[in-house]
Amino acid sequence: MSRALWTAAALAGAVLVETGLAHLVTAPGRYLDPFLLVVVYCALVFGETHGMLAGAAAGWVQDALFGGRVLGISGLSKLLVGYAVGIGAGRFLIATTAARALVVMLASLADALLLQWLASVFSLEALFLPPLALATRATLSALVGGLLFALVDQRLARARA
Amino acid sequence: MATAVPARRSRFLLVGLVLAHLTAISHQVDGGSGVSLLQRALLGVLGPLQRGVGATLGGASELWRGWAFHRDTYAENRRLREQVRSLETELQLRSFKAQESVRLRELLELRQTVPLDTLAALVVGRDGVPWFRTITLDKGEQDGVKLDAAVISATGVVGRVFAVGPHAARVQVLLDRDSGIAALVERSRVSGVISGQVAGNESGSEDLVFKYVSERADVAVGDLVVTSGLDRIYPKGLVIGRVRFVGQVTGLFRDVRVEPSARFERLEEVLVVRQPPPPLEMTRSVE
Repeated sequence: MSRALWTAAALAGAVLVETGLAHLVTAPGRYLDPFLLVVVYCALVFGETHGMLAGAAAGWVQDALFGGRVLGISGLSKLLVGYAVGIGAGRFLIATTAARALVVMLASLADALLLQWLASVFSLEALFLPPLALATRATLSALVGGLLFALVDQRLARARA
Repeated sequence: MATAVPARRSRFLLVGLVLAHLTAISHQVDGGSGVSLLQRALLGVLGPLQRGVGATLGGASELWRGWAFHRDTYAENRRLREQVRSLETELQLRSFKAQESVRLRELLELRQTVPLDTLAALVVGRDGVPWFRTITLDKGEQDGVKLDAAVISATGVVGRVFAVGPHAARVQVLLDRDSGIAALVERSRVSGVISGQVAGNESGSEDLVFKYVSERADVAVGDLVVTSGLDRIYPKGLVIGRVRFVGQVTGLFRDVRVEPSARFERLEEVLVVRQPPPPLEMTRSVE
């Protein structure tokens, strides 16, 4: 499966998860961002270029389906996050689950802060999370992401084998 | 996992995507007053530059307009100056014509009043000094001007023709010391001879001398002096002037000065008397 198809499939899964979470809790974005997990994984696995393209695509899908009236805010933030993670992955050895979880945590914080900053720059209404909520969201994303990435890696390894 | 895309290309792509996102976002965000954020940002960055360029162009334009205005004003000023000169010339011409008209009317009135055969003539020359003694007329022998013809103006007697050519004549005016007119005081009928006081290039009084007035004669300041016709040159009754001064008796006669009526310094048109008084013929004598 090509990278693009794989990314598209992953984004489709993120849409399903986000939709499902929306039925379970109010404002699921306060706890978990499935699109961010797709972006971080693409950046870690395929590099910064693919990471930022995936980030842009994920952000636009997220904005279009779950975001506010302005498209591109999440796209821009996830684009930058994807690029940064891809650059980091190219320079550091981020192979263990813990390291990846840490990357997801940092990416989650960066994405949320970037979103809030962009929202303030463009004078938009956005979900401003307090530091505790940010930390909770980052931690939860790190846990989910670490586990998810490990599962995906196993699946891919089996598929290659 | 290493990427196959070169880092440089990746950075370009990043910049391009970021700019594309910013553009897309700003197009959706109203920056206030209906202006998008991108437009506001661009205005913020480019505004001062635009203002500088605008100010420079505005200054240059203003300078150009000022120069063009100045050039037009200068040309208009020159045109108006020429127009003013032309109008002044025309005005002077009209004024001259008006004055000439007045003089000619006066002359015509005189011509109609005086029952004499006269010829109008223009003064075309005179002595180049204020106390001139002669004038030159534009009419001569072929026009009917004869030697010793009397010359008069609307205000008084001017003089007599002492030289005549085919188309010009010279006139000895009353101011000349060598001139002489038989005259009389209109009121008292006291007679005498009027002559001038100007000789050569010397300056002299423009008053005329009323000669041969006896000490008992009734002459007073303000009396009108007219021609008596006894000299057979000037017809009788033409105005010469008014007595200005009556002095003491010197010898046998009284010193009397007359102010001439003719304005010699302004003479331009005159009348020449073509038909002199008939000569006295003695048909009979006392034996």
